[in-house]
Amino acid sequence: MTRDYIRERQQRTGWLLVTPALLLLLLVYAFPILRAFWLSFFTENLSTSLEPVFSGLDNYGRMAQDGRFWQSMRNTAVFTVFTLIFELLLGLIIALSLDQAFRGRGWVRTIAILPWALPTALIALAWRWIFNTEFGVWNDLLLRLQIISNPVNWLGTPDWAMVAVIGADVWKTTSFVAILLLAGLQSISQDLYEAHAIDGASPWQSFRQITLPLIAPQIVIAMLFRFAQAFGIFDLIQVMTGGGPGGATEMVSIYIYAAVMRYLDFGYGAALVTVTFLVLIAVVGITWLYLSRLRAKTE
Amino acid sequence: MHGLCGEPGSVRFPGFVLRDRSLRFRLLSRFLPLRWRRLIWVSLALLITTATLLFGSYVRAQQPVTISFLLRAVEADQMQGLAEQFMAENPDIRIEMVRGPNAADAVENLYTTSFLLGDSPYDILFSDVVWIPKFAAAGWLQDLSDRVSEADLADFLEADVAAGQYKDGFYRMPFRSDMGMLYYRTDLLDQVGIAPPQTFSELISASEAIQDQTDVDWGFVWQGLQYEGLVTNFVEIVAGYGGFWIDPDTLEVGLDQPAAIQATEFMKGAIAQGISPPGVTNYVEEDSLRQFENGNAAFLRNWPYAWAEANGDDSPVAGNIALKPMVHAEGEQPAACLGGWGFGISANTAHPEEAWRVVEFFTSPGPMKDFVTEFAYVPSRRALFTDPEVLAKFPHYKQLLEVADTAVPRPPVGQYAQVSDILQRYLSAAITDQMTPEAAMQAAAGESRRVLGVES
Repeated sequence: MTRDYIRERQQRTGWLLVTPALLLLLLVYAFPILRAFWLSFFTENLSTSLEPVFSGLDNYGRMAQDGRFWQSMRNTAVFTVFTLIFELLLGLIIALSLDQAFRGRGWVRTIAILPWALPTALIALAWRWIFNTEFGVWNDLLLRLQIISNPVNWLGTPDWAMVAVIGADVWKTTSFVAILLLAGLQSISQDLYEAHAIDGASPWQSFRQITLPLIAPQIVIAMLFRFAQAFGIFDLIQVMTGGGPGGATEMVSIYIYAAVMRYLDFGYGAALVTVTFLVLIAVVGITWLYLSRLRAKTE
Repeated sequence: MHGLCGEPGSVRFPGFVLRDRSLRFRLLSRFLPLRWRRLIWVSLALLITTATLLFGSYVRAQQPVTISFLLRAVEADQMQGLAEQFMAENPDIRIEMVRGPNAADAVENLYTTSFLLGDSPYDILFSDVVWIPKFAAAGWLQDLSDRVSEADLADFLEADVAAGQYKDGFYRMPFRSDMGMLYYRTDLLDQVGIAPPQTFSELISASEAIQDQTDVDWGFVWQGLQYEGLVTNFVEIVAGYGGFWIDPDTLEVGLDQPAAIQATEFMKGAIAQGISPPGVTNYVEEDSLRQFENGNAAFLRNWPYAWAEANGDDSPVAGNIALKPMVHAEGEQPAACLGGWGFGISANTAHPEEAWRVVEFFTSPGPMKDFVTEFAYVPSRRALFTDPEVLAKFPHYKQLLEVADTAVPRPPVGQYAQVSDILQRYLSAAITDQMTPEAAMQAAAGESRRVLGVES
């Protein structure tokens, strides 16, 4: 009885202490999410004089038929998949090189993180100039190397525009992946490699059998972070292409912005947000399951 | 006594007095009984507070009312002179022009955000024609119907007045106008001996003749990039075929009707037949003007500003150009897409009367005339097109009035931004060969109907 009483009191104190933080979280996370979810069942736009009118699943029905929504989803998926692949590969290469001992390694590490630390809108502006048809450095370079004979309208051609924004994002965020992977690499004991080498393993085998499995958690974490950011990419696209040409680089976030800010279609915007949010949650949930299974296996 | 509780003085002064007591009043109060001390202190505080409040409201009453609006920084510079003139004549009003970004859609976003928050800092909306339905539908603008009579509006261009109407209200006083038209090279037409074209087919045959018989590369240049400009081109052509985009009264969508499909086929055909360069699908106003100015094209669709540019000292075609209303189909009327800027009054302004005086001043004949003559803009008042002083400076305004009288506004529906985006996407798809004109227009019509909430 006495022991239970103490535990109860401790628990009560614990809850009491946690409550302010929980309330704050509820206010800034749960409330907006639930509010958007609730709003997605209403039509609230200019045809209703910005008054919410309950319309059930209308917004979701409209979304299913909305070609622009599907195009933006496809664009977002393409952007996310390709940036993740390139950032992982390049990030791994950079991390492996930075893991080696060489003169000035501290400097190089600091410089490597620089692109990630710079503001995205600024970088996007710079890339827009780099890819400019007439005055851009990129066209100038390719022309001088005689790889192309005529200036290419990079940001004005649907496929090239997508390549350009992927390239800019990879340039900017690869260093983030590299730094995370580097942390993973440095936690691996050198003894393992020595023992493995004595057993006659080649460097490639060591990489596959020691490095990769041991940095797998870091890879998953980095990809998770990058997935969430790439899926919600806004600033880079807005500044570089504004979603054009012909909606070829329009991401879901850009469409949501247009629906809410330009069309004042709040109900539909909320439905778009809800679906995007659910996709994000689903992917994060799957990754989390995978991670916990991985952990269970290693233990 | 307005704003008594919100007055900063009522909050600030007790604190001030408190501080004062501790420093200065201590000496004095030592000689008085405690009760007295407190009484004197309280009445002194009351006295000072009341005096400040009274003085504050007196000063306030003497101070001019500030009327503020947001506009592009370049335009703020140009309108500064008029604003100063107004303030000199009306010392009780101060005009505050907030200098925004030079991109019109960025200004629109800033206005939208401030109105969404419910307490807009702007008393006036300086607005592009196409914003009005959205802002009016959202309830952010005051209906100006009671302030102007039909007689007041009689002098304005018909389309400019129509563009300010949404449902039963009137929300925008026109200030300066804009309309699309056909520019042509007089020397080239003389060379091949053809009169200026009136119809679409005449435009095509004249272009072919010029391309054949002269060293000019292209016949007709226009704006084909996926943006608002593409829609303005389309509006003129579809009206020229006797069709329409959206009927604002019935919300009927005309995009899948024969006229709209013909209009799209004309745009696509111009490229396919080699009349227009393939790159026209990437053109904005400047690109097409550059082609025309450099003598590479015989016909140009553009806005009034192109006249001064193409007739500039360094332009190879200066003196050899003329303008006329847009071409149309046989038996139909020409049409010019209306653009331009005007004033609306914010629904929640605290000073509607003062705001109206400002609007009235800018849109009255005198200031408008000064403004358009100084900065080469197109007036919204018909009389100014034929004003001797205006004509002395811009002789071509006589022809421009012919164009202005053919002007049609883009459909004033609240969801304009949305339907315009839809049309832009499908038009672009049609002229870049991703879809047939018919399929593109049918898809655009379907999506537009869904947005407008009308059943197909």
